[in-house]
Amino acid sequence: MSLFTNRTSNRTTKENRMAIVRIPTPLRTLTGGEEQVQAAGDTVKELIETLEKNHPGMRDRLLDDKGVRRFVNIYVGDEDIRFLDGLSTKLKSSDEVSIVPAIAGG
Amino acid sequence: MSTSSPDSSALADSTALIVGVGGLGCPAASILARAGVGRLLLCDDDLVEISNLHRQILFDESDVGCDKLSAAARALERAGARAGSIELIRTRLLPDNARELVRRADVILEGADNFATKFLCADACRLERKSVVHGAAVRWQATVFSVGPEGRPCYRCLFEDLPSGDAAPNCAEAGVLGPVVGLAGALMADRALSALLKDEKSFAEFSSYDGRRDRLRAVPVSARESCRLCGSRPEIVEIDYDRYLPPSCAA
Repeated sequence: MSLFTNRTSNRTTKENRMAIVRIPTPLRTLTGGEEQVQAAGDTVKELIETLEKNHPGMRDRLLDDKGVRRFVNIYVGDEDIRFLDGLSTKLKSSDEVSIVPAIAGG
Repeated sequence: MSTSSPDSSALADSTALIVGVGGLGCPAASILARAGVGRLLLCDDDLVEISNLHRQILFDESDVGCDKLSAAARALERAGARAGSIELIRTRLLPDNARELVRRADVILEGADNFATKFLCADACRLERKSVVHGAAVRWQATVFSVGPEGRPCYRCLFEDLPSGDAAPNCAEAGVLGPVVGLAGALMADRALSALLKDEKSFAEFSSYDGRRDRLRAVPVSARESCRLCGSRPEIVEIDYDRYLPPSCAA
């Protein structure tokens, strides 16, 4: 019985860690045109792994072998993760994560 | 054209360099001319194409095939720009001329359609300690970022270096919407006027507009200690041509 209770509790906690991810125009081809998606993860890195599972190709557009690609910024709320803990930045329930790539055009 | 505000003499004594007279440069130039900025340096080498007309608001059908600068000057003079206040610089911003051109202006508005020019302009402005407003628009998204004359935080604090060739689309590949780019151009002009009037509150703020959601968002940008351009040990201390060649790998 206690095991059942714990499993229920864990599932509830995981569900609470769903973040809203704002998808920029250039990456919406990977989300079927969706401009925002929900994804689970305790950290930004985990969240990107979830995005990759749900929208294959996303990881490569955001990360390279050194970390976040140099022309992409990721914000948690209004904070650039480079000034937090980078990919290890912790996420709270209902955090809003924005992906902002460099663009050139006009 | 003059304004009636007490700031009009400050603007009349100012010079703005507009890099790229396209969807961003056209509305920005129009606003600056009407605000009474004393001298506009327009830098471009393109011809007007019919596909430009929906967003490059200084041009009309009679300008198709003409050089952009002559057409832009005619439109700005019709809008009230003082004769002789517009200088036409028929070239692109290049490693050979970048520092010399930005040195001549009090503020630079960079609305280039390619990353090489954006980074070149950022580097030249930091090296010459000039305020610069960077703008971009692709499809539904637009961004504007202004940098103060001390050059910190800079464009490289925000986006470190050129993306690889096909990692990010430009407007020719992805398309751009007139209202979105028009809003960005107007915002660039607003930031440039703030810079000319020594209003520093808009520096170090990155604005992004999502036209699908009609949402304008501004986030503060912090200087990066490790920035190659403005960090504590900068690597970029001169303009080096090779630095503006995009990486060839595909992302």
